[in-house]
Amino acid sequence: MTEIKREELLNQLRKMIEKGYTSLKMITAIDRKEHIEVVYLLYSYNHNKHNVVSVILDPNNLEIDSVIGIYKSADWYERELSEMFGIKIKGRKIKRLLLEEWNGTTYPLRKDYVWGSTYKVR
Amino acid sequence: MPRMKINVGPIHPSTHGVLRLIVDVEGDTIMDVEPHIGFLHRGVEKLMETRMYMQNPSYTEKLDYVAPMGWDDLYVSAVESAIGVEVSEPAQYARMILLELQRIASHLLWLGTLANDLGQMFTVFMWAFRERAKVLKLLEDVTGSRMFYVNFRLGGLSSELPIDFEDRTLALMDYLEEHVREYTYHLDSNPIFMERTKNIGVLTKKNAIDYGVTGPVARASGIDFDARKELSYYMYKKIKFNTPVLSNGDCYDRYKIRFIEIQESINIIRACVQKMPKGSVKGAPIKLIGQPAKIDNIIIQHRELPRGEGIIYLVPEAQRPYRIALRSPSYINLSVLPYLSKGAKYADLFAILGSLDVVMAEIDK
Repeated sequence: MTEIKREELLNQLRKMIEKGYTSLKMITAIDRKEHIEVVYLLYSYNHNKHNVVSVILDPNNLEIDSVIGIYKSADWYERELSEMFGIKIKGRKIKRLLLEEWNGTTYPLRKDYVWGSTYKVR
Repeated sequence: MPRMKINVGPIHPSTHGVLRLIVDVEGDTIMDVEPHIGFLHRGVEKLMETRMYMQNPSYTEKLDYVAPMGWDDLYVSAVESAIGVEVSEPAQYARMILLELQRIASHLLWLGTLANDLGQMFTVFMWAFRERAKVLKLLEDVTGSRMFYVNFRLGGLSSELPIDFEDRTLALMDYLEEHVREYTYHLDSNPIFMERTKNIGVLTKKNAIDYGVTGPVARASGIDFDARKELSYYMYKKIKFNTPVLSNGDCYDRYKIRFIEIQESINIIRACVQKMPKGSVKGAPIKLIGQPAKIDNIIIQHRELPRGEGIIYLVPEAQRPYRIALRSPSYINLSVLPYLSKGAKYADLFAILGSLDVVMAEIDK
């Protein structure tokens, strides 16, 4: 597991490709309350090894570079990140994927969104 | 040729769930496909954060209603590694047998519906369902329910296996081996089926790696990866089996590879029944969860599901998951559809979609 700074992401992933990690299996994020952690799960077919690259994002500045130029499989995961966590993806135009009719102000997988809070007893 | 947009779905018999496609066609040729998903989104990842660990398998099972046991296994084994529970050897073999039975049932359903999509109206479909019903009957007698089992417990299964389980399983394998072979007469020697699958929707090896597809779709494109073998969990390392790899990456290869996988699963089940040691397969009751999970110990669990590689990224808290991220294989396999169908004929779209074997409940989560 390697933790890197936001600016190093693209360079780090390019380095990982050179090391043989040619497949991006999954991108996800974890809301740790004081920050949001974005996780890239990579796999190398040659060495049969998984590797995790994680980036810590400041909640006041949720922006991350798009990695779609390096891994094509990032497409749907980045769209998911943007609507579930409200993370801005730099370098590409994001079209809604899963929650087309969801409001644009709350992000369901963040911890400040409490499950069931949109309903009340009348 | 006039260019126009055609709306397909969200309710359409060939989309295997609730999938909407906006197809941009010029005459009969597809220029672009835009999938719209999310109609079945129910927020499983968020829901699971609100429940205790062993309340969750019933959510994970509904992710893939064609092969629920695979997700059951993936989730329960992730919790087992978070809490630190060992699975006894007989229970590992029993789980392998059940999982392979589930894989066969899943592939049979897929085979029937693909043949249906491609104009083999209901012959192969009925046969495949006849065989699948027999597999489900066996699973029902083991678990108590026909489709959603919630059968895995920490350290084993919910109950012991039936007395005549071994004999019935072996008899069923003989039956399946004989009958599954019959399908080839109807599909491989059918010129219409061949025309509609050969060289349609070709996914090259390089693109298969780039797009991150897994499972039978990847293996049909020449990627030799099977989590059962490469990441050897349970007792798969003690059993000899082949993971078929084909190289063309067209619809026909994706059909063929699942067909060979059914036969391989039959071999695995036979070997498991033979090697299964005596002993209890029962796990801990749901109430006895034991010690709380180790916090700050991130679990990444991999399993070879019938549709590809399923991954759970689990950040544990003492009594319930803090965050649980699911990688469903169909999600990524479906994202290749626009690339695969570009330049194909409109009628081929459903051959390609059918050959990817997607389950929408798993995609929308």
